[in-house]
Amino acid sequence: MSEQPSLWWIDWRLSRGSLVREAIGRVLFFCLLGFALLSLVLSGGVSRLLADRYAITAVLRAGVPSAEAEGLARKVAALPPVRTAAYRDPEAAWKEFLRAYPGLDPLRGVGGNPLPGYIEIRFRSDRLNGADIDLVTSALRSVSLVEQVLAGGEGLPRLLRAGRLASWVCWGVFGAFLGGFFLVGRLQERARAGVLAGDITFLVERGVPAGRLAFLRAAGAAVSGFLLAAAGTAAGGGALFLTLRTFPFLDRVIGPPSDLLLPRTVAAAVLFSLGAALLSAGASLLGWRAARSGRK
Amino acid sequence: MIEGFRLGVFSRGTTLWDGLDFTFGDGAAWFVTGPPSSGKTLLLSILRGERRPDAGDVVVSGESLYRGNPALARAWRASCGHVPEQTVADARLTVGDLFRRSALAGGGVRESERKDRTDWLLEMVGLQGALEWRIQELSISERGRACLAAELLRGPKVLFCDALVAGAGVPFWEMLWGLFRALAREGATVVLAERRIPERWALAAGDPEPVGPFRVYRLPPPEEGVRGEPG
Repeated sequence: MSEQPSLWWIDWRLSRGSLVREAIGRVLFFCLLGFALLSLVLSGGVSRLLADRYAITAVLRAGVPSAEAEGLARKVAALPPVRTAAYRDPEAAWKEFLRAYPGLDPLRGVGGNPLPGYIEIRFRSDRLNGADIDLVTSALRSVSLVEQVLAGGEGLPRLLRAGRLASWVCWGVFGAFLGGFFLVGRLQERARAGVLAGDITFLVERGVPAGRLAFLRAAGAAVSGFLLAAAGTAAGGGALFLTLRTFPFLDRVIGPPSDLLLPRTVAAAVLFSLGAALLSAGASLLGWRAARSGRK
Repeated sequence: MIEGFRLGVFSRGTTLWDGLDFTFGDGAAWFVTGPPSSGKTLLLSILRGERRPDAGDVVVSGESLYRGNPALARAWRASCGHVPEQTVADARLTVGDLFRRSALAGGGVRESERKDRTDWLLEMVGLQGALEWRIQELSISERGRACLAAELLRGPKVLFCDALVAGAGVPFWEMLWGLFRALAREGATVVLAERRIPERWALAAGDPEPVGPFRVYRLPPPEEGVRGEPG
């Protein structure tokens, strides 16, 4: 490493103590934000919860052979929006019926099993939308083996709209916290620029361009912001992993722990860190400007 | 050479001074005296390129500080050292911080060099072992000397000192006298602004040049004989 002193991030060189305190606070905050971000990315807001609860039921005609029904289920499962498509034969359907409505066994005695077989189709959480549901239902309706497609009817659009709204609210709350970080960061940067005003004046009086100082401070803030956000997100991801391992029922709302290592999850974490770097640089520049204009 | 041409300052609703000409040759120590509120600090800030005069111009090595290229003015400021009249500013810092900051401004002082020279400079100004002392705990004399040592770290070509001699106190006049003349011998220019010059320094410097409310003395270089022993 060069021994040459440089003006790179003079805050670290001149105000190390306060910077360390701020860094600790920021990494803890990023840890919480990272936990929330990864939870949101994995869950898609409330999409995974909805996708877990929502299913299309394709009721088959009476007398459809099991082999044909299973073949149809496999074809449906191959459709891009579909996560699972499981065939239930009439016997399984009857058992489920009895579990839901105990005491109705006598119904069978009259004319045999009154229930047909059916295929239960569940969607991928990221493909649970009106267009993809229409795609699957229209594909099913064109199949002669299918008697009826139960897809939620008129309530479905309301359900999807409510799901979208809930997701937006989740992301909005996350964005508000990120905005809060920016505002607090700006205040911290302003306070530090105020504390360093004497040093900055000293350097400017000795021929160091003020613009260069501001740029180098912002660049330093960006690099530290990226590293702190990356560290915080990694810690938050670790905490989320442990939480999902400890409470498996959360899989249905957030997702499986293995999804944390998916490329899109990692990409989201990197993008978040880059965003934190930009916000840190912006906060540094605005804080600098406020401190300098307040000084004049 | 630093030249001030027809310098004028308008301050507090009145003309403080106008039409003053100064010439400070290279490789010499200059002593500017003037009564309180005569604008000595202002004159130094104008000569350093910090405060544009309301009239006239400052020319350094043939280049105008205020009407020429701003990059040249910045380069000039980078080559200057400045020991301000001691105030409460920088009270939160330690003596070591002053050196660290000075090295940052210099940009060319290596870390190892800084550490070596810091000890040597502190010892020279009578502050050995003061590296961790806080500025707010120092006397006016110690602050001034610490500041001077920190400025010398960068090896400035021109050194401006505001009320340093008076602040340092009589016991350090001999050290300062020797230091300024040694700097001048090495080619640096030293400009000191004080209310009054120590009597023996005045005796050694000879007759001053009157410029407006100021008196400008040129301290004799070491090779010249002096008429009195300062200190």
